Amino acid sequence: MDPLDLENLNNLLEHDVGVNEKIKEQVKEFDKKIRIIVGILGKIHSTPTASMPELLDSVHPVLLSCQDITTSIADVIPPDQFWRWKDMWSNSMRTAVFASALIEYLRNGSLLSLPRASEILGIKESWKDRFLLPVEDYLHGLISMVNELSRYAVNAVTLGNFEEPMKISNFVKDIFSGFTMLNLKNDSLRRRFDSLKYDLKKIEEVVYDVSLRKLVLPAKPLQ
Amino acid sequence: MAKDSVLNIFEQFRDDIDQGNDRRERLIKVTLSPNSTTARVIQINHKASRDVTNISKKTIFLLHRIVLEDSPDDHALALRAASSARGRLSEANAIFAGMRPELVGDRFWRYQRQVSPGLQEYIEALSFAHYVEYGSLISYQQVQDALCDADGPFFPLTISDFLLGLSDLTGELMRFAISNIARRGGRPKASQVCAFVRGCKSDFERLTPYVRDLSKKQAVTANSLEKIEAAAYAVAVRGSEYDLPPEMLDDLVAQTTAKFNMADGRRERDEGYIESHHGE
Repeated sequence: MDPLDLENLNNLLEHDVGVNEKIKEQVKEFDKKIRIIVGILGKIHSTPTASMPELLDSVHPVLLSCQDITTSIADVIPPDQFWRWKDMWSNSMRTAVFASALIEYLRNGSLLSLPRASEILGIKESWKDRFLLPVEDYLHGLISMVNELSRYAVNAVTLGNFEEPMKISNFVKDIFSGFTMLNLKNDSLRRRFDSLKYDLKKIEEVVYDVSLRKLVLPAKPLQ
Repeated sequence: MAKDSVLNIFEQFRDDIDQGNDRRERLIKVTLSPNSTTARVIQINHKASRDVTNISKKTIFLLHRIVLEDSPDDHALALRAASSARGRLSEANAIFAGMRPELVGDRFWRYQRQVSPGLQEYIEALSFAHYVEYGSLISYQQVQDALCDADGPFFPLTISDFLLGLSDLTGELMRFAISNIARRGGRPKASQVCAFVRGCKSDFERLTPYVRDLSKKQAVTANSLEKIEAAAYAVAVRGSEYDLPPEMLDDLVAQTTAKFNMADGRRERDEGYIESHHGE
């Protein structure tokens, strides 16, 4: 090979390594924050409803600081190369979506939309060619949330909150029927979606136990 | 939260996911619209990456066939081989042109994995034609220039595809060198190829940490190189010991090279390639 060409290729490849390393550094920071957030959110299972807002407030600043990470990553991605690098942080991103969606449910009982999730994570519309929140990653985050809610349904009952399983059941059923509309190909998202039915079943069992023992009043009392 | 709004959200996702899956399929099997100019050139509906792979493989066989024909003028033969190969590869170019709209902007990196296998095979064929004609290694810029039409490049050429394509060239050159050794007067050419492959191997060495799978290909190159060297060695040793006339030497070498059983090796490798690269 022409020595000049070889040198040139070598330089270009080294430049890519530079981008790679900068992203790696950020992802490491991202993961640290994510671990803190997931750690705090683990306490929802032992937190009574009254103290929930306080717990969620304590997560907020850490979640907000993830915006610095997304900004730093977006800064080093060359134009049009989002898909080249995204695998480096998709796991962290999915967990961040999971946390945001869980918080949204616990606060307002509603489903966090994709644009709203992007907003929370500080992903700007103007980064479109360099950084975005892909549908797949968002959906992975939702599935993790359902996994978590099936546990929460059980533990809420233990804490004496008998209405929660009903709410969760309705919420999760809607999400499940949403997923059934999608034509998923045979990938990890598909496999995780297939496992959602076990979460649904677990929640149903809790609902059954609670209603059987008349621990909760039917939505429309029969009289 | 109302069920309808949840379902509305998911409906948009369905379109998004379907679009991605369809595009992935199309890039593996692109169908050109019948009234486009490119379609007229190749007449039939073409299936992108996989067809590029087929065209490239045929081009490589074509090159092997032509360079082994009996001809008084080796240079003219090489030129004819290279120009027929380029003619064949222009069919692949038409397919690449058809893939362009699927790979605009950030889509290129999203679907790069669907394009790579065919593209690397194409680079292997193109660089082989280039070697046959000029006796040198095709440059990155020359490959990118080949992947262009009047509207500019079809898509950006990645260094990784470029290097991995070139790595496959050394295997073809091994076959080329060994079949040359068996030909009358082909030995100097074989030693040229030997030196060339050795050069490629040492040039690529420093780039291996940066490119995934390049080290695997380097191992294959080392293997090919060894085969060429073994054949050259057989020629040198027997030639010096017995002081044979060149014609007898040719017969002797023909026996040695038969041991390498080239036809079988080639077939196995190609079948493995198609399966492993177009699994999805």
